[in-house]
Amino acid sequence: MKKKVLSVLLAAAMMSTLLAGCGSDAGNSGSSSEQGAASTESSSAANTESSAEGGSESAEPVTLKWAIWDESTTPYWADLKEAYEAAHDNVTIEMVDLGSTDYMTVLATELSGDGTDFDVVSVKDVPGYATLVQKNSIMALDDYIAKDGVDLSKYAGATDQVTVDGKLYELPFRNDFWVVFYNKDLFDAKNVEYPTNDMTFEQYDELARKMTDTTFGSQVYGAHYHTWRSDVQLFAVLDGKHTILDGNYDYMKPYYEMVLNQEADGVCRKYTDLTTEGLHYSAAFSGGDVAMMNMGSWFIATMIANLQSGEYDSSLCGNWGIVKYPHAEGVEPGSTLGTITGIAVTTATDTPDEAWDFVKFVSGEEGAAVMASSGNFPAIMTDEAMDLIVNLDGFPTDEASKEALNVANLYLEVPYAENVSEINSILDTYHGSIMSGEMSVDEGIAKMNEEVSKVLGQ
Amino acid sequence: MPKLDEAQKTARIDSLQEELTKLITAVRTETDSKKKRKMIAQIGVYNRKIDTLKSGKLLSRETKRDLIAYSFIAPNFIGFCVFTLIPIVFAFALAFMNWDGSNPIQWAGLSNFIKLKDDVFFVAALKNTIIYCVGTVPLTMVASLALAIVLNQKVKGRGIFRTLSFFPYVASLVAITSVWKMLFHPSKGPINNILYTVFHVSQDKLPQWFTGGLVLFSMILFSMWKYMGYYMVIYLAGLQGISGELYEAASLDGATTWQKFRYVTWPQLSSTTFFVVVMLTINCFKVYDVAIMLAAGGNGTLTESSTVLVYYIYQKAFIDWNLGYSSAVAMVLFVLVLLVTIIQFRGQAKRDRV
Repeated sequence: MKKKVLSVLLAAAMMSTLLAGCGSDAGNSGSSSEQGAASTESSSAANTESSAEGGSESAEPVTLKWAIWDESTTPYWADLKEAYEAAHDNVTIEMVDLGSTDYMTVLATELSGDGTDFDVVSVKDVPGYATLVQKNSIMALDDYIAKDGVDLSKYAGATDQVTVDGKLYELPFRNDFWVVFYNKDLFDAKNVEYPTNDMTFEQYDELARKMTDTTFGSQVYGAHYHTWRSDVQLFAVLDGKHTILDGNYDYMKPYYEMVLNQEADGVCRKYTDLTTEGLHYSAAFSGGDVAMMNMGSWFIATMIANLQSGEYDSSLCGNWGIVKYPHAEGVEPGSTLGTITGIAVTTATDTPDEAWDFVKFVSGEEGAAVMASSGNFPAIMTDEAMDLIVNLDGFPTDEASKEALNVANLYLEVPYAENVSEINSILDTYHGSIMSGEMSVDEGIAKMNEEVSKVLGQ
Repeated sequence: MPKLDEAQKTARIDSLQEELTKLITAVRTETDSKKKRKMIAQIGVYNRKIDTLKSGKLLSRETKRDLIAYSFIAPNFIGFCVFTLIPIVFAFALAFMNWDGSNPIQWAGLSNFIKLKDDVFFVAALKNTIIYCVGTVPLTMVASLALAIVLNQKVKGRGIFRTLSFFPYVASLVAITSVWKMLFHPSKGPINNILYTVFHVSQDKLPQWFTGGLVLFSMILFSMWKYMGYYMVIYLAGLQGISGELYEAASLDGATTWQKFRYVTWPQLSSTTFFVVVMLTINCFKVYDVAIMLAAGGNGTLTESSTVLVYYIYQKAFIDWNLGYSSAVAMVLFVLVLLVTIIQFRGQAKRDRV
C-alpha cells in the first residue's frame, strides 16, 4: 500500500511538473523578450560595471541603461539618445528594447528582486507605473526636483494625477491626447459638412449615421471604435465629474448605448468582428471606408510617416483631418482624454545622479523639442513645439485641424490609485463582455460596480 | 569508516554471520508473506555487510554500482530540482504568504484561500476549466479511438489519412487558430454563411462562436480536432499490440464486430486508454494557449465566459503582482489534478486485479 501511495505522489509530482511547465508558458511572452534583452546586456555588461565604479564623478565615462519599446518603429528614442550624448561626452545611453505588446509586464519582471542593471526606464502607462511604485522599483524624484528647481506647472497638471502620497516617481516626457480623425474624401463624396471642433455627442452620432452606407460592396462606416476600453467607455469621463476610480459606473451607460446602437445599425464595425480578426485601428482607418475614428494623437505621426512612405494608399486616406473630441451638452469643447508616457530612475541604479540628469533632459524643454521634431507631442507643450508639429510636411493644412490641438481640459485615461491595476483589469473584462453582447449594458455596469467596490473596499 | 584491525574484523564478521543464520532459520518458519519478504531483504543487507568487511574496501561493489546509477540520473535530476522541484515547493509556501516580487514577504496564513471563494473571476475560471475538461477529454478519446480503429484496417490511402489526421497536432497553434477564426468569423466566416444561406438563420441570430456561451464549445471542438491525431497514434500502437489470435478465437465463437470490439479490443486497450485519459486530463487542465488564441481579442484579456485557471494564475502573478494569491490558485489546480489522477490510478488498479 505504501508503495502505491508513493507512486501516486510521484505521479502527482510529475503532473505538477507538467503544470509548472505550462505555468511558465504563461509568462513566456515575457521571458522571450527578456532573453533578447539579456543577450544585449551581456555584450556590454563589462562596460556598465566598469563605469558604475566611477559613480558620481561626472568626467568619468558613464553608461546608462534605458528600457524602451519598439526602437525600430519609434524614431524618437534614438533622437533623444543622440541629443543627450551630443551634449554629454562622458555618458553613453544604452537602449534595451523590451517590445511594446507587454512592455510593462516584462519591465516589472526585469525589475523584480534586486538583480537588475537598468538605470532609467520609460513608463508606458499608469497601471504599470502603480505596479513599479508599489514594488519599490523606481525612485521618488522629489529631492532632485526640489534641488534642480524643476517647474512642475509646465506639465499642465499631468504630474498631479500620478503623484503618490505626495511623492512623484516619474516625469512625463510625452503627452498624447485623443482627437477624432476623419476622412475628408468620404465627406466630400457624400456632400456632407466636415465635423467641427464644437460637436456635441448628439451631433457626432447624427453625423456618423449620415455618413454610413450599408450597401454591400461599397460600405462606408460612419465611425470606428477600436477594441480598447478607452475608445467607448471614456467618452463618459469627459464631463470632469467622474473618473474610472469612482466605483460606480452608471454614468457610462449612455455612451455604451450610443455605440451599441451604432453597431446594430451598421454605423461602425462590430466589436466581435474586430476581436476575431484582430483588425488594427490603423488598418481600419487607412482602408478608406471609415469616415471618423477617435484615436490618440500618436496616430498623427503614424499617418504622416506612412503616407509619405507609401505604406498607406493616399487615394484612400490621404485627405484627412482632425477635430476635437465631441463633448456632452454643457461641457466646454476641447475636453479630452490624455495618456502620458513617463521616464523614471530605478532604485537599483548605481549612478542615480547621472540617471536623473538624463531624466531631466528627456522630460524637459530640450527633450520636448526633440520629440516635436518627429511629430510627437511632448509633455511640455510650448508654442515652438506646437509650431513644429503643425508645420510638419503632411500635417492637415486646414485651420480646424490646427485648432484641434488646443486642449481645454485633459483627463488621464487612468489616473493613479493604489489598486489601479486591478481596477483596470476588471473594467477591461466587463467592457469586453458588454461590447461582445455577453452581458447587457446594465448587467455589465452592475458587475463593474460590484467588483470594483470590492477592490476599493479592501 | 574507521579502520578495524584483523581480530576485531573477524569478531564482527562472526557476529554478523550468526545473526544471518538466525534470520535464515526464522525465514523458513515464517508464514506471513509480507514479513518474509522483509526478512529476505534483510538477509541481503547482512550479506553485503559481510562482503564489505571481508574485502576490506571502502565501498562495496553494490554501493559502487548504485553510485554509478545515481550519476546517470544526476544531470536530469539536478535540473529537475533547480527548475521544478524547488519552485514547486516555493510555490506551496508562497500560497500562504503575500509577496509582490520585490518587497519583503509577509505571512498571510489561509487568507489567500479564503479570498478565493468570493472571487468571481476565480470561480468563473474554475468553472470554465472544468467544463472544458469534461467536454474535451471524452470527445477527444472517442474520436481518436474511432480514427485509430478505422485507420488500423487495410483501407486505401491509409498512410495519407493517418498523416492528415496527425497534421493538426504538429501544425503551429497560431496559424491554425487564425484559420479557425476565419472559418468561424461571426459575420464573414463560411460556417455562418452556410447557416445564413442554407439554413436561413436570421442575421442577428447567427452564432457568435468566440464570445458568450459558445466560446467554450468552440474551444472544445478546436482542441478535439487538434489533439485527436496525437492520441490516435497512441491508440494505433495499442491496437497493433493486440494479438490476432484473440480475434480469430472470437470469430470462431461467432462474435459479431461489436462483440469483438466490446470483449477483445476494449479490454486489451485498457492500459492505453488509461494513459490517454491521464495525459488528456492534464493537458486540459493546463489549457491556456487555446483560450488566449481563440477567445482573447486584440488586447489579450479573457472575459468571464472564457477565462481559465492558468490564465488567471498568470494575470494575478505578472500583471497584478500578487504572487501569493496566484500561488493559491495554482494550488487549487494542483489539488484538482492530483484528485483526478488518484481516482484514475485507483480505477486502473482495480481493473488490473480483475
